[in-house]
Amino acid sequence: MEKVELVKQEALNAIEQCTTLEQLNQVRVTYLGKKGPIQSLMTLMKNLSAEEKPAFGAEVNACKQAVAAVLEEKKTDLEQKAMDERLEKEKIDVTLPAMPLKNGTLHPLTLVTQEMEDLFISMGYSIGEGPEVELDLYNFERANIPADHPARDMQDTFYINPEVLLRTHTTAIQMRELEKAGGKLPLKVICPGKVYRRDDDDATHSHQFMQCEGLVVAENITLADLKGTLSYMADRMFGKGRDIRFRPSYFQFTEPSVEVDVSCHMCGGKGCPVCKGTGWIEVLGGGMVHPNVLEMAGFDSKKCSGFAFGVGVERVAMLKYGVDDIRNFYINDARFLKMFDRFD
Amino acid sequence: MRLSINWLKEYVNLDGVTPEQLADKLTVAGLEVEGIEKVAEGTNLVIGEVLTCKAHPDSDHLHVTTVNVGDEVLNIVCGAPNVAAGQKVIVSKVGAKLAGGFEIKPAKVRGVESNGMICSLSELGVDKKWQTEEQLSGIYVFENDAPVGETKVLEYLGLDDTILDVGLTPNRADCNAMWNIAREVAAVLHREVKLPECAGASNCGTPTNFKLASTTEKCPVFVGKVVNHVKVGPSPKWMQNYLHSYGVKSINNVVDISNYVMIETGQPLHYYDLSKLPHHEITVVDDVDMTMQALDGIDYEIKKGDLLITTGGVPTGIAGIMGGEESKIDENTTSIFIEAAAFNAVSIRNTSRRLGLATEAASHFIKGLEPLSQIKAVDRSVQLLTELADASEFEENVMVGTIDYEQKTVTETLTHCNTLLGTDFKMEDVLKVLSELNLNPVQDGDSFTCTIPSYRTDLNIREDIDEEIIRLLGYDGLKKTLPTMEATVGELTPVQKARRTVRNTLTGLGLSETVTYTLVSERAVDEGSLMSFGDAVELASPMSEERRYVRTAILPKMIECLAYNTAHKNENVNLFEISAVYAVGDAQERIGIAMSGNLQASKLHKMTVVSDFYSLKGVLETLLKQLGVTSNRLAYKENTEDCLNFHPYRSACVYLGKELLGVMGELHPQLIKEMGLPKGAVYAEIRLDLLMEVKLSKVKFKPIAKYPSVKRDIALVVKSDVQAASLSAVISKAGKALVKNIEVFDVYEGEHVEAGYKSVALSILYQADDHTLTDAEITAVHTSILTALEKQCGAVLRG
Repeated sequence: MEKVELVKQEALNAIEQCTTLEQLNQVRVTYLGKKGPIQSLMTLMKNLSAEEKPAFGAEVNACKQAVAAVLEEKKTDLEQKAMDERLEKEKIDVTLPAMPLKNGTLHPLTLVTQEMEDLFISMGYSIGEGPEVELDLYNFERANIPADHPARDMQDTFYINPEVLLRTHTTAIQMRELEKAGGKLPLKVICPGKVYRRDDDDATHSHQFMQCEGLVVAENITLADLKGTLSYMADRMFGKGRDIRFRPSYFQFTEPSVEVDVSCHMCGGKGCPVCKGTGWIEVLGGGMVHPNVLEMAGFDSKKCSGFAFGVGVERVAMLKYGVDDIRNFYINDARFLKMFDRFD
Repeated sequence: MRLSINWLKEYVNLDGVTPEQLADKLTVAGLEVEGIEKVAEGTNLVIGEVLTCKAHPDSDHLHVTTVNVGDEVLNIVCGAPNVAAGQKVIVSKVGAKLAGGFEIKPAKVRGVESNGMICSLSELGVDKKWQTEEQLSGIYVFENDAPVGETKVLEYLGLDDTILDVGLTPNRADCNAMWNIAREVAAVLHREVKLPECAGASNCGTPTNFKLASTTEKCPVFVGKVVNHVKVGPSPKWMQNYLHSYGVKSINNVVDISNYVMIETGQPLHYYDLSKLPHHEITVVDDVDMTMQALDGIDYEIKKGDLLITTGGVPTGIAGIMGGEESKIDENTTSIFIEAAAFNAVSIRNTSRRLGLATEAASHFIKGLEPLSQIKAVDRSVQLLTELADASEFEENVMVGTIDYEQKTVTETLTHCNTLLGTDFKMEDVLKVLSELNLNPVQDGDSFTCTIPSYRTDLNIREDIDEEIIRLLGYDGLKKTLPTMEATVGELTPVQKARRTVRNTLTGLGLSETVTYTLVSERAVDEGSLMSFGDAVELASPMSEERRYVRTAILPKMIECLAYNTAHKNENVNLFEISAVYAVGDAQERIGIAMSGNLQASKLHKMTVVSDFYSLKGVLETLLKQLGVTSNRLAYKENTEDCLNFHPYRSACVYLGKELLGVMGELHPQLIKEMGLPKGAVYAEIRLDLLMEVKLSKVKFKPIAKYPSVKRDIALVVKSDVQAASLSAVISKAGKALVKNIEVFDVYEGEHVEAGYKSVALSILYQADDHTLTDAEITAVHTSILTALEKQCGAVLRG
C-alpha cells in the first residue's frame, strides 16, 4: 500500500515540475503508460490474497485517476500559459493607421436631390423626367409664358432653333407630366433636373444649374396645402423646427404666386450674416397652378386645382453646406467632392 | 422703383409711419423693399459764416478759419481749397455724426485747435452723380441769403429724404409710376390717397396743322401736342429734389417736367423744340438703316426694325429710347411739341439692348404701359408746363391711332376664394381691401364683382383677385395643411432605381460622383464623340466657342475634370458621372467612369489596387452585376469605336449580346501627355439606357452544393495572341456541367517560354450536384478538356 502512495507522490512531483506541454506529455507517457510505474503496481497483485486484491486494485485505480486528474489540470494550466505567451508575442500597435478602404462620395447636388426625392416619394409623389433639349412648347407656351416675354428672348435662353431650346426651368417637365396625365386626377409629381440660362458664370450665377419642382393637381387643392407641404420640406432639408413664410410674388404659371422664406437654419431666426440679419432666407417659389396652364393640358380648372413649387438645388446645397461659390459644383475638385460624404 | 418718402408724402399722409415700417408693409404686400437709403446723413449740423480765413502756419494747403454758427464762433481748420472768408457753409459741430459713421471730435491739427468741420456734400453721403464739379472738389457754399445758425441743414438743402428701393415683379410694372405706387402705399396703410387732378387738362388749344403719322404697327398710339410758348428756366427746387431722389438729373424746367410726369404716370414723354421741327410733321418708321446722333452726342447704328422718329424724312430720335441732338430743348427754346406714344415693348427692348442704351424711358416701355397713360401724361404736361414754364398758345391734341380701352370687370365668389386659398376670410374684410385697392367691389350674395382700374393690367381672372385679397389680408394667418385627396403610391421608376444602384455601387467601390457642364466646344464634339449616334445639337447663338454644342458623350468633360485635378495635385482621382447626352433628335443616358492612380492603396499595409484596365473592368462588371447583367453576357472585343482617346491595344468595345454597350480602356498616351493626365489613366463610358431595354437577371435561390469539389491546376503554353476568354470557353464546353469555376491565376511570357508563346495557369473547379465525384470521373473530364484545349487552341501542358 505504501508503494502505491509512493508512486503517486513521485508522479505528482514529476507533474509539478513540468513547465511545458511537451514535458507534461512525457510525464503522462511515463507514469500512465502501459509500462509505467502505476501499471506495474498491478503486477504486485498476484502476490496478494484474494481478500486483499479488490482493495489493492481500487487503490491503484484511485491513484491512476488522481494522477490523471492532476495531469489534466496541469495541462490546462500549461495550455493557458502557452496561449498567454503566444498572445503577448502577437501584440500589435493598435495606433498604427488603418488600412484605408476608401469609399466614394455622391455629388452634393445628388445628395440634395435624392433627399427631396425620398421625402416626396414618402408622401406619395412620383418623380417626373423630361429632356434637357426641350420644345419651346413645353418650356414656355404651356407654362403660360407669352411669345413676347423677355424670358423667351435669345438673350436669356439657349435656343437651338425657334422651336427647340435648352430648357430654362424644370417647369417644362411639369408641363409634360400634366399633358401625360391627360386630365386624369390626381397628379402628384416632383421634377428634378438640369436647366440652362444664358448667364455669365460668377459666384452666384451659372449657365447650368439644377432645379426641383413639385406639382399636385386634384380636387380642392389649396394654397394652405402648399404651405403645409413646403413646411415638411423645409424641415427635411434644413433640420426640424423650421418655420416658413409666404410673400406675394409673380410667376406666369401660378396665380396667386408666392415667394417662400424659411427661418434661418444657422441662427434659428434670431438674425445672422447668412440671413442678413432678417432671420429668414428666401429659398423657394410657388403658387396655385394658373387656370390657363391646367386648361392647356386638358384639365377642367373649374373642377380641380393644383399647387406647384420650385427650388434651386444649388441654392439649397449652398445654404445647407455653406458653399460660397456656385462654380464649385461644376469644377469637381476632388477635395471639394470628398467633403460631402452624406446628406447630414 | 426708387420711392422718395418726401415725394410720397405729397399724396399720402405718412404721419406715424417710419420708412422702415412702410418698407415692411410693402414687402409683405408683394412690393419687396430691397434697400432703404438716406439721401444725406449728418447730425449736429448748422449753417455758418466764415468770418476769417488764413493759411495754416505749418501747412501749405490747410486753412485756419473762424466761423460764426449763430450762437458762437468756432475755430476750424479746413483743408478745402475753395474755402474763403464771407462764405456761408455747412458746419458739423463737435459731436456730429456724418455719413459712414464718421464722428467729429475736438482736435489739434498741426498745433492749431479745431472744433468742428466745414463739410462737402460728399461728407454728408450725397452721391457723386448729383454734385457739380465745383461741389465735388471742395466744401459746399450756400447762396448768400442762407440763414446763419439754421440747424435744419439737410432740410434746407432739400436732402432730408429717404429712398425705398422697391423691387417690382413684372406684373406690377404699374408701380413704376409714382401715382400708382402711392395708391398701393395708401392701400397697405389703409389711408387716403390724394393725387393731382389733371384729367382733361389737354382738351385745350387752337386747331393744329401738325401732321403725325406712323407707318408701323409697333407704334399703335401717338398723342402729340404743340405748345407755342414756353419759358425755359431752372425748375423749382422741390422738383429738382424729387428728380434727384428718383435718379434723374435736373436740366431745365421744361425737360424736368417731361421726366417728372414720366415718373408720376409711368408714360415716357419726349418734348421737342418745335422750331427745330420746321416741317411740323412727325412720322414713326421702322424700316431704315442709318447712323444717327442721339441726345448724348453719340452716334448709333440704326437698323431696319428699330423704331425711329422722323421729321421731314429725317430721323430725329430713337423712338422710346432717346431723342435726337438736333431737336433737343435748350435755354433758347420758346415752343415745344409733346410726344406721348405707345411703342412696342419687344422692339424697344431689342433696340435698347443692341445699342446698349438702357434709358429710363426705354425701361418704362419695356416693362409695359397702361392703356390710358398717353392721355394722362399729356394732361399732366399741360398742367405743369402752364404752372411752371409759363406755357400758353396751345394747339389741340394730334393723334395717331385710337385708344380703345374698355374697362374690365372680374367676378369672384367668397367660397371659391376661400377654397382655393384654404382660408376663411369674411366678406366684409374682403370688400374692404378690394375697395382700398380702388377695385370698387359690388357684392351680390356670395359673389362680388370688381371694376378694374386702367392701370391694373395684371388683374384679369378671379385668381388674380384672390391674390389681391390674400396679399393685403396677409399670408401670416394661412394654415399649414396637407392635401386631402385620393392616396397615391410614390415610387422610383426602373431607370431611377438603376441610377441609384449605379451611385451606390460605384461610391461603394471608391469612386466619387461628378456633375460637369453639358455645353462643350466643337473640338470636344469632333474628337470626343465616342459611340456617336448622330450630329451634335448646336446652339443658335452660343455665349462662347467653348460652349457651342450639347455634348454627345461624357468623355471630354470627365477628361477635363481629371486634368483639372491633376493640375491641382489631387492624386488617385476616381470619378463617375451619370448624364443624358444628345444628338439631333435623339438622346442616350450614359455612365462615364474615369480612374487614375490607385483605387485603393496603403504603403504601410502593402496593399494596392491600381486604377488600370483590369480594375476598371472589375468596377464595370461589379456594377453591371448589380444592375442585373452577369459578366458571362458580356463580350470584350477590339476597340473599333475610338482609338483617338483610347490606347488602341489596351481598350475594348464592350458588347452585351449584339449591342455595343460601351467603350473602356486605357487613355491614349498622346492624350495623356497633351491634357496632363495621370499616367495610365483609364476611362469607360457605357449606355444606361441600353441596359434598361435588355432583360435583366432576377435574383433567384439555388440550393447550396452538397457534394465536395475538387480543384485541378494546369499551366498551358499557347501562342501569345490566344485570348484567355477562348481558353475558358473551351474548358467550359469540354467540361460540361462538372466545371463549376475557372480561374486564371497566372500569365507568363519570358525566358522560360519560347518566344511568341505564353504560359497561362488556370485553376479548374470540378463539382457535381448529385454525388461526390470520383477520381476516375475527374480524370476523364480533365483529360478530355486537355485534349480539346490542344485541338482548339494549340495549348500544350507546360512541362
